[in-house]
Amino acid sequence: MKLAVVVQRYGADIGGGAELHARYVAEHLARHAEVEVLTTCARDYVTWRNELAPGVEVINGVPVRRFAVRAPRDPQRFGRQSELVFEHPHSVNDELAWLDAEGPASRTLIRYIEAHQDAYDFLLFFSFRYYHAYHGCRAAAPRAVLVPTAERDPAVGVGLFGPIFRGVRALMYNSHEEQAMLQAVSGNQAVPGVVVGIGSEIPDAVDPGRFRQKYGLNGRFALYVGRIDRNKGCDELFAFFQAYVRQASSPLTLVLIGQSVLPVPSHPQIRHLGFLDDADKFDALAAADLLIMPSYYESLSMVTLEAWALGRPVLANAHCHVLKGQCLRSNAGLYYADYQEFAATLRALESDGALRTALGDRGRSFFGRHYAWPVIEGKYLDLLGQLAREDRQAGGRRPHAIAPLPGWFARRAATLPPAREVLTRATAREAAASRPAPAIPREAHA
Amino acid sequence: MAEFNIRADAVDVEQIMQQIRSRIRDKRGVDYTEEQIQAMAGVKLEQFLDPRGVRSDMVAQFRSSRPTEPVPTFTFDDTTLYDSHRTVVRWIRRLLRPLLKLFFNPNPLIQALHIQATLNADTVARRDLDALYYEVMHNLVLEMTRLSIDVKNLKMRVESLSSRLDFNERRARALESVVQYRSTPEADRPAVEAAPAEPRSSEPRGAEPRAAEPRAIQPRPEAAAGAAPEGPGQRSRRRRRRRGRRGTGTGQPASEPGGAPGGAGPASADEGHEPAEAGYAAGEAEHESPSPRDVPEGPDGGTPDSGDREP
Repeated sequence: MKLAVVVQRYGADIGGGAELHARYVAEHLARHAEVEVLTTCARDYVTWRNELAPGVEVINGVPVRRFAVRAPRDPQRFGRQSELVFEHPHSVNDELAWLDAEGPASRTLIRYIEAHQDAYDFLLFFSFRYYHAYHGCRAAAPRAVLVPTAERDPAVGVGLFGPIFRGVRALMYNSHEEQAMLQAVSGNQAVPGVVVGIGSEIPDAVDPGRFRQKYGLNGRFALYVGRIDRNKGCDELFAFFQAYVRQASSPLTLVLIGQSVLPVPSHPQIRHLGFLDDADKFDALAAADLLIMPSYYESLSMVTLEAWALGRPVLANAHCHVLKGQCLRSNAGLYYADYQEFAATLRALESDGALRTALGDRGRSFFGRHYAWPVIEGKYLDLLGQLAREDRQAGGRRPHAIAPLPGWFARRAATLPPAREVLTRATAREAAASRPAPAIPREAHA
Repeated sequence: MAEFNIRADAVDVEQIMQQIRSRIRDKRGVDYTEEQIQAMAGVKLEQFLDPRGVRSDMVAQFRSSRPTEPVPTFTFDDTTLYDSHRTVVRWIRRLLRPLLKLFFNPNPLIQALHIQATLNADTVARRDLDALYYEVMHNLVLEMTRLSIDVKNLKMRVESLSSRLDFNERRARALESVVQYRSTPEADRPAVEAAPAEPRSSEPRGAEPRAAEPRAIQPRPEAAAGAAPEGPGQRSRRRRRRRGRRGTGTGQPASEPGGAPGGAGPASADEGHEPAEAGYAAGEAEHESPSPRDVPEGPDGGTPDSGDREP
């Protein structure tokens, strides 16, 4: 079986959830199939500047074919188009212009996919919201398997993506919440889909003592790992944490790991260590008493899974449906919706060692059952094998199921509702039809 | 916070979150949404406000008292009666005005209508002001409702805090007594070891001394010394304990049979550690009936003196 992984950026040193997700999947599937990565020359997800050379290189044993981006992103144009598409009635052309402004617009990549799609059995497209995924899925619809990595943000409600969600061969979801959201938005229940998620490269041995010694951390501490950004809920975390230590007279320290976009408050109990390598990160996770995930939007928090893999409990933002759902399914984390809940849950986790241990144990077993690499690889291979069997049964005929774009006039009619409104309506539908997230059967625990 | 009863194989995050939320609700009372407060302000105001002070249907009455039809208004001055949009007519009327005044005096009429027009204008202006008053009153009623709920919650919190304070005081007294009790083991040891070498004169001859008796009977070194120096801390601790006993009313007089100062039971619930030592004294009293002079110390190990005895 020959597979292509199509992703907006790719590299051993490129972080970011979806990009790392794609790299892990490519490297692990390469043990079972012939895998090639198709990506752009960009390194920076804000500008999409061409920083890497086009052509083929090999990264960790996987061939990577890069294509140049036509133009870097114009933030002002992208902001205007986003405002129009998310907040106002608009046309299909407006949405296409928004997608073009978002980038990374690489026509050469799309042309390559059109020309060479027959060379691959399946193409795995990562991150539905980018140019390469939309146009790539349209170009190779019969072979397109989408890994949407969708968060609950207005981009989900953009009208262009409905036909994509309904027309690809299969979807690999990160969580049950993501699946429910996309099904509510696009009605793609008929498309084969599997909740897979992603594993992580957990080191065999971690040294929490080394981390504590290296950074001079003695007492208990809560850890945040990720970009320190308002979009990740860090401003709220700072406010809540400072109020908590003031009111509870807690000696707990908040340790932050990651690049800072938001100013970190100057507080004796808040330590920002900057960006750390993986060894330090895993040691930090092992040394921490708990991990805090304040983000409102996550499609799948890898660091949460890593904390669970190392037996650490998680305190998550309840407004993020995915994190809350994972906490409930795993029984390995608490969540908060406001300051009172933040203070009460953090107090419980800080003061109750038995609770921390119990949640951590549940997290470790949850990770082992659902996010260990053999499980992830098995889910991918099972689904791809099933699709291949369907193709063989159909005599090699693969239907092109993505609806074409409307005509010249219809594309210019501003008849599409604001994307945020679409998402809100879908969320309401989802809530109306909601049932508790599927509980993991007891026998699966064994 | 009382912690959770956790077993690793039976963690239920949903249940833990329910417990946490329930505690938050208990702490801060019930949270009301804006709609609920609006409903309470409109319907159940009498439950939260003093009905003598504020009418619960005030908002409804205020709303119903506002006229729905707009009041017509006009201006009226001394030329209005003779005015016309046609210039010729206006000119003729002005020409004939002296003639008209021969028939009747229009000035009072003009003045009255002018005043009425001014009043009408004021009324119209006042309607806007009334709308503002309505908003202010409405907000005041809402705020009063909200505040009365807050007051209720704060009262509950004060009660909760005062009970916790009482509990902490009792706990502090108990801990003080524990510290006192544990500070004397070194002083106790020589007395226990020395006991067999110095049998009591009141003990029946030939009787096997019980293991516990020597310890209870023998005075501690500082007590045996009689005039052993007594620190101011011990004295004040005894005073505090005595006050506690008086407060609880469970103390026994020192002159009771066998009653060492401090009695056969703890003076209060926070002195729960004392019965062990007091038991020794009681047991001794039962078997040996020592004179009060032979019972040298209370449970605190202090030397009894006249000033420290119960009245």
